[in-house]
Amino acid sequence: MKGELKELKLTVNGKPCELKVKANTLLVELLRNELKLTGTKVGCLDSACGACTVNIDGKAVRSCSVLALQANGRKVTTIEGVADGDKLHPIQEAMVEYGAIECGFCTPGMVMSAKALLEENPSPTREEVREAIQGNLCADEGYVKYIEAIEIAAEKMRGGQ
Amino acid sequence: MEETFGNYSVIGKAMPRVDARAKVTGEAKYAADIELPGMLWGQIKRSPYAHARILNIDTSKAEELPGVKAVTTGKDFNGFKWGWSGPTRDEEPFATTKVRYQYEGVAAVAAISEDIAEEACDLIEVEYEPLPGVFDPFEAMKEGAPLVHDNRPGNICVEYHWTFGDVDKAFAESHLVREDIFQTPRMAKGYLETPAVVAYWPGPDRLVFQGAKGSPYFPYRILARCFNLPLSNVRVIQPFIGSDFGGTKNDMTHCDFAAPMLAKKTGRPVKLVYTQFDTLTTDLRRHPMWITIKTGVTKDGILKATYVKAIADGGAYTRMSPLTMFLTGTCMTLPYELPNFKFDAYNYFTNNPSSAAMRGHGLYHSRFAADVQLDMMAEELGLDPVEIRLRNAIENPEPGKVYETINGVHMATCGVKECIEKVAEATNWEEKRKTKKVEGHKSYGIGFSAATYNGGTKLSAHNACAAIVRVCEDGSINYLTGASDVGQGSDTVCCAIAAEVLGVGLEDIDIKRVDTAFTPVDPGSYGSRVTVLAGQAAMNAAEDAKRQLVEVAAQQFSVTPEEVEIKNRQVFVKSNPQRNMPWERLVRIACYETPGKVIIGRGYSTQGITILGLADLSKGVGDIGTNYSFTAQAAEVEVDVETGVVKCTDNSVIAHDCGFPLNPPAVETQVQGGSYHQGVSAALYEEFKMDQGQTLNPNLIDYMRPRAYEAPMTKVLHVVTNDPYGPFGAKEASEGSCCSAPPALINAIYDATGVWIKDLPAQPEKVFWALKAQKEKKQRKK
Amino acid sequence: MIGDFEYFAPKTVDEAIALLSKYKGEAKIIAGGQSMLVVMKRGLLTTEYLIDIKGIAALDYIKYDEGEGLRIGALTIHRAIEKSPIIQKHFRVLSEMEQNLATIQTRNWGTIGGNLCHGDPAGDPAPVLIALNAKLKLAGSGGERIIEVEEFSKDYLEVALEPDEMLTEIQVPTPLSHTGIACEKLMVMKGDMGVVGAAVSITLSPKDGVCKDARIVLSNCASVPLRARGAEKKLIGKVLNDSLLVEAGEVASTEASPPVDVHGSAEYRQEMVKVFVRRAATKALERAKAA
Repeated sequence: MKGELKELKLTVNGKPCELKVKANTLLVELLRNELKLTGTKVGCLDSACGACTVNIDGKAVRSCSVLALQANGRKVTTIEGVADGDKLHPIQEAMVEYGAIECGFCTPGMVMSAKALLEENPSPTREEVREAIQGNLCADEGYVKYIEAIEIAAEKMRGGQ
Repeated sequence: MEETFGNYSVIGKAMPRVDARAKVTGEAKYAADIELPGMLWGQIKRSPYAHARILNIDTSKAEELPGVKAVTTGKDFNGFKWGWSGPTRDEEPFATTKVRYQYEGVAAVAAISEDIAEEACDLIEVEYEPLPGVFDPFEAMKEGAPLVHDNRPGNICVEYHWTFGDVDKAFAESHLVREDIFQTPRMAKGYLETPAVVAYWPGPDRLVFQGAKGSPYFPYRILARCFNLPLSNVRVIQPFIGSDFGGTKNDMTHCDFAAPMLAKKTGRPVKLVYTQFDTLTTDLRRHPMWITIKTGVTKDGILKATYVKAIADGGAYTRMSPLTMFLTGTCMTLPYELPNFKFDAYNYFTNNPSSAAMRGHGLYHSRFAADVQLDMMAEELGLDPVEIRLRNAIENPEPGKVYETINGVHMATCGVKECIEKVAEATNWEEKRKTKKVEGHKSYGIGFSAATYNGGTKLSAHNACAAIVRVCEDGSINYLTGASDVGQGSDTVCCAIAAEVLGVGLEDIDIKRVDTAFTPVDPGSYGSRVTVLAGQAAMNAAEDAKRQLVEVAAQQFSVTPEEVEIKNRQVFVKSNPQRNMPWERLVRIACYETPGKVIIGRGYSTQGITILGLADLSKGVGDIGTNYSFTAQAAEVEVDVETGVVKCTDNSVIAHDCGFPLNPPAVETQVQGGSYHQGVSAALYEEFKMDQGQTLNPNLIDYMRPRAYEAPMTKVLHVVTNDPYGPFGAKEASEGSCCSAPPALINAIYDATGVWIKDLPAQPEKVFWALKAQKEKKQRKK
Repeated sequence: MIGDFEYFAPKTVDEAIALLSKYKGEAKIIAGGQSMLVVMKRGLLTTEYLIDIKGIAALDYIKYDEGEGLRIGALTIHRAIEKSPIIQKHFRVLSEMEQNLATIQTRNWGTIGGNLCHGDPAGDPAPVLIALNAKLKLAGSGGERIIEVEEFSKDYLEVALEPDEMLTEIQVPTPLSHTGIACEKLMVMKGDMGVVGAAVSITLSPKDGVCKDARIVLSNCASVPLRARGAEKKLIGKVLNDSLLVEAGEVASTEASPPVDVHGSAEYRQEMVKVFVRRAATKALERAKAA
């Protein structure tokens, strides 16, 4: 039936979730409105800005471009699930320490794109870093320090200095 | 190792931003993240016409829709009008008699869900009588053109005529005189965070407003007047702000009026969030401008005179256009010496969305024209672009001296020469310029530019920043300011300044977002004013608090207050550092010892150089800035000569004189960001395409914003001039590089191809046809 | 915002086809939805029934056999094609095409089948697949059928699927020996939809180096991916050189009827067809010679 709530089971930030949603709910709407995970941002809702990027089964995906029901049975990680309690993830740490963050609106999406990249490719080239965040629009900081911070994080994660 | 500056404990070295952790973990709440119990969703009903009379608005069907709680139209505001300043109040919260641009708001709805609010808007019936419109200044200025505002003949919004010196005489005496026309595009601010607001009324005469406003005291004042409330009852609480860049997030949008009105009508919190479509069709844009510039130089390339005629498309309402036109003119006398200057400015109303301030406000247009034309003249004279700039650059005044331009602009420091020299050296300019690089269909070129921007912008009426430093009994500190950080990093540097003065660490200072119920009133986050002016307030407030503590310490040590120093959380006697106590102990003694004290430091900003008082916008005289930053930039481009696609390469260097870098990495991100997002992007990518008032690219796929893959890894070199009018010598960072990027890029494209692109942006098709025309011309010559 | 619909998530192709048959004409299929959801969010597309096939695991595969060629399940994501060692080795052009298809986020969720069924003439995969002489396997209530990719696009956003049919597999034959294939598109920024684009396949005769076969396919130059047959004729039967490739571009340009929008005029696009056909053909020729 149209308008009927559909069952959805997924894992969000390591926690299993069972809920009922309207079929036309986008994943970003589920995260922000139902699960109150407002760290995931909405910039354009047009698959263009990447502010809503999350990881689905470890891959960077725009949560405005996926129906919530399509995440059924999958593992979704949002910005709220990146740090280990009080301990920031090396990517977050590098962005803070290196001064990459300005207004912060694109930051959660940036972190999620970087995380997916480094989990798949621990030693990315600069080209690969740039490519990984090509889908994440930033409005103010020029990308330079984001790119460099991701490289620093990669080095740290590989066990370097 | 990170570069450090000066001999300080806290400032002058890299420090993580105070808000970075909240932002990187997703904890930072922006306006759209706010949710309150019982909250309703609002939606705006907008006009499909760019120019039409409103004959009737029937909201009955919308009101009857189940789930709709209230509908408002402009009539509810009882004729209230607002504007950037008293004399320019020409805009209603919602149009009542006439719409003047496409998608102007005519009504709003509050409902229990977003979907119902949207459906209700569709049910509002508006009867329009479409009117012929004017869609650029050249149409607007025609005799008999339709009027955007019936009481504004000729559609003239702003007009200035300034003359300094004798330009005609100087042109006659010049070795070379050139006249060119340049054009700058209609641009979006580019923030990802769209306007959003939540408003509610905790009591019948008390309003709480939490909106995405970069200058929270704008809505504070405007809403008090609009709803006839005492300022004490208007509480604007600022969430985190996802960038601003001037205009929309300073002053008001339809949602900023709709949410409070609908909340008042329903007695419930109302939230409105713009879509990116709303943003790209209705938010304020950078003025499209046509700059005719005539310049005379000696045979040695020394500037004798410049005449600028600036014609701007102001859009539907005045907004900040008077300031835009002033800024477009005033800094023509910087960063090069200019003995004669004439300026005619015309800003026209059109049936386009309103134009307003944007990063690099005003100067961006005229400095682009002037710095490209300078390269053109250098070539005619056989001079190197760096050489002609060095010959004309204003010298850094001797300490204690002040340089005055012909139009009464003053500065105590000017690092433009050092900027130019540093960039030339870092890029190996002479060598680089000589080597012509062509690889297949790619041609490379390098361009140079220099620019300036006013920091600590001073306008008439209330202009002071204030700060309160509240020292808690355990030694921790609350820092309260009405100045707002929209991403530029001012919260961090203000806290750092306070920490430096007090002799404590950055981690000892707590800052919260602006809340007009507690924080001191502040003009806002615009005109690169926050670090300069709020920074002064921070310094003064911290000094006030320190004075109170030092008095207590002096009593404890039985010395005079002048003998007491506080550094790194230690309080000691200067002549005998063995006599010391920890910061916490001093604070505890001060607070608890009879009779006890409450340590609150208060500080305000000062006016900087006040030789001529505040700038006179209509005469073009005087200082808009407290001080002025300087920038030099070299940028390399790669031009695909077969397609016209231009890319700015990583060989891009900017030297920036921000006076003193309080937080060097923050200066760098500001400079890199200003350069790429609003500078390179304006030169290469961005422009609203319009047709009869309709925006043809109202989404971030068709409206191109710069991305990471193409981002130049711009190197930033710091030039330190220690301006006496800025806190610890600081001036502005970012708006200068926003102004220096477009001319550097256009000059580089010329170096690569021999083609001048005088109307921005140099999008591929434009470059392609220009190259083709050049090729055909060459063939004809053969 | 998105109009409501009844939602189904079949786990097998048969289940999906049964649903299609049941709601004949009133149902739409969503795979990755990277294009479809944009259109739905803008209110330009509504449907009564939405059949979400993203979860049909059996359609996510990349198989290669020298005789049979390449088989790609319709629900294989773009990123998998881009990164597949098999494809990088034997069908490099497909991987290259994917590298510039939108952004990683899109490629991580969007599927090759979804892209083809969206039927956008500016889409990247179809022209390359046409140059590769690829075929599509469609499954419907009447069974399966095979169709040339070239025959699949009918009009702007319209493909040759019957109401009860779905795309299940892309079949790419192993190119003939001495074949080179390349694609190029005009992007202002990496990942842009091509302002125009060209995919070119050139097969040389090993004996005399004469061009035995050429396939030139243009994107964003008509309502469907466009075979520039006139341009192909310029090349077939000749020993290719630079000026012939330039001529092919010129002919292709006259065959194109590109759209006009904020990214470029028709005249500019026609000029660009010349450039990109020549560039893709040059690369294809180099590869054919090296093969």
